[in-house]
Amino acid sequence: MTDYNISVAHLYGNLMNTYGDYGNIIALTYYAKQIGVSVNYQLVSLGDHFDNENFDFVLFGGGQDYEETIVAKDLKNKAQQIKQYIENDGPLLAVCGGFQLLGHYMVMANGQKVDGIGVMDHYTTNMHDQKLTVLNDKRLTGNIVIKNNDTDETYHGFENHQGRTFLGAGERALGTVVSGNGNNGMDKTEGVIYRNVYGSYFHGPIFTRNGNLAKRVLATALSRKYPEIDWTDKLNQIETETF
Amino acid sequence: MTLKSTIARATAKSAYWFLHTILHRGGTSLPGKLAVSIDPNILTTIQKDFDLVIVTGTNGKTLTTALITRVLEAGGYTVITNPSGSNMVQGITGTLVTTKIKPSPNGKKPIAVLEVDEANVETIAAAIKPKMFVLTNLFRDQLDRYGEIYTTYDKIIAGINHAPEAVVLANGDSPIFLRGDFPNKRKYFGFNHIQAADYQPEVAPINTDGILSPTDDSVLTYDFITYANLGKYFSATDDFARPKLQYQVTHVDTLTPRYSTFNIDGTPLRIEIGGLYNIYNALTAFAVGREFNVTPEQIKTAFESNAQIFGRQEAIKVEDKDVTIVLIKNPVGTNSVIDMMKTEKDDFSLLTLLNANYADGIDTSWIWDAEFEKLHDTNMKAVATGGERYQDLRVRLKMAGFPDQAVYEDLKQIVTAIKAFPTRKVYIAATYTAMLQLREQLGAAGYIKGGF
Repeated sequence: MTDYNISVAHLYGNLMNTYGDYGNIIALTYYAKQIGVSVNYQLVSLGDHFDNENFDFVLFGGGQDYEETIVAKDLKNKAQQIKQYIENDGPLLAVCGGFQLLGHYMVMANGQKVDGIGVMDHYTTNMHDQKLTVLNDKRLTGNIVIKNNDTDETYHGFENHQGRTFLGAGERALGTVVSGNGNNGMDKTEGVIYRNVYGSYFHGPIFTRNGNLAKRVLATALSRKYPEIDWTDKLNQIETETF
Repeated sequence: MTLKSTIARATAKSAYWFLHTILHRGGTSLPGKLAVSIDPNILTTIQKDFDLVIVTGTNGKTLTTALITRVLEAGGYTVITNPSGSNMVQGITGTLVTTKIKPSPNGKKPIAVLEVDEANVETIAAAIKPKMFVLTNLFRDQLDRYGEIYTTYDKIIAGINHAPEAVVLANGDSPIFLRGDFPNKRKYFGFNHIQAADYQPEVAPINTDGILSPTDDSVLTYDFITYANLGKYFSATDDFARPKLQYQVTHVDTLTPRYSTFNIDGTPLRIEIGGLYNIYNALTAFAVGREFNVTPEQIKTAFESNAQIFGRQEAIKVEDKDVTIVLIKNPVGTNSVIDMMKTEKDDFSLLTLLNANYADGIDTSWIWDAEFEKLHDTNMKAVATGGERYQDLRVRLKMAGFPDQAVYEDLKQIVTAIKAFPTRKVYIAATYTAMLQLREQLGAAGYIKGGF
């Protein structure tokens, strides 16, 4: 038994789970365990109620196009609670499709436009969008390295997406592209940071390959729940996995 | 046969002869390419010589195709089949045009049993009207190269639509195969080895795809799951449920890493390979055989007298170590291998090798969808990692609760790695190109002959 615990919601984990996204929870749990914190995992899927006050961390992963259209419909029912969670500074990691659906809309490869819930200000067009100036009609696939401008941390991952995301007002990139393509191949941004929300196209998954980011988000989640303890200091004392 | 097709065939055959006899190189792609360049309709021309059975799906195509071949041969058919790996259009054409087709001993038309890559089903089916489509399973697989599973299934359906008279013989335990609008006669095979009293209704674990009901896209419930998205499913929102099975595994008796015994439609059977997933392959071959009137006794004989065809899971000896090599390439396949290891009664060690070349899939994130945590439920005593992406695996296994691993950055140390293990039994799970490199090392050290 541990004295401290956090509750994790995995949004649509049985539908949006295509590229090892659950690995982010494995990594978070791995670090949490070493500092005496247990993680309660809960799947929140189609038809389930998402109560923003019940969770300390939320993962919203990527999925296949077909599942993503199904999820987009259900997500509308959870939009208000998700917005509250985000505005209350709840930590959230959104990958690929999850990242896209938190924005205004996304356009699939076949041109189908899918509504996001617009709780964040970005939007996503597809690889055939006329306004693209580079890599038209191509998926953005390959290894990627970015630098977080706030912290100077470097993150490594693998990207594989056709969608092109453009950030909106009040959003800044998770990092600047050092090598690879990022959100749209054009503006050198990768991912998003908004309050305590981190969005990214990184597979890897991002927390497994970039222990520095995993620890940062874990510290945020724990400090929000147990503010009296210096979690960053505790996490600094354990080994960080990076590859 | 037209003059053009005769020339095309003759050219392909001499190219094949030259490659194999003079250069000692395998492969059927080049002869296929040559034949098509001389006569683009070559496939359509030769199709009158045989009935075609197309085998497609994500996992198990190669072994299933080999088993179907043996089963049909046991039933007195002449069978043409493509070698493992040659499952794209060029290779298949090469196989068909370079094979001399003898009459079937049973007097019936010869059968071509072809393993066809999912994306190539339409091209083949458009050129040659198949008699039967055999659908094994659909799982996510190396998404940097292949599409999503619903897109993949759409490609298969496009092929099926070219042959409305063909029977679609599908794995009924896979709900995705209940989708699709086509007029073909459908038949299903699956598992019915659990008594209704023992059903434990559950939804699939989170990292399972293809679990939506074809009727209303709700998440399906399973009375039981055999593995991944396969099992006896039903919808909680309407009356959709698994269809009636024409061929079924009614009993599973023994599961060991080396062999399994089970019962299909009243016939007790044994296959010389471990893993529940391989029983599916046997079931598929049984179903195809029965469709072509091969008797259950002949099928049983086919399985039992062809032990060597279960070769992909390879057993070798390295000094005093009994080494079993298995291929891993995606989460479902890896989970199945781990399930198989759970049936190992002896202590064993595991060496995992990960490469990320094109043939392996360049995205390694799938290792996080495979449940290495389940290795805690086996008799594994030591684990080591290696391959070009050993770092990914090292961290994966560390986070799965295996902090003490030997790490081999260089595959040249593989023989050393095997000898260093504390147990007599050793399993090696490797991705495709890592397995090729491994075989080269073992060949150079004299533990396996030849290589390939």
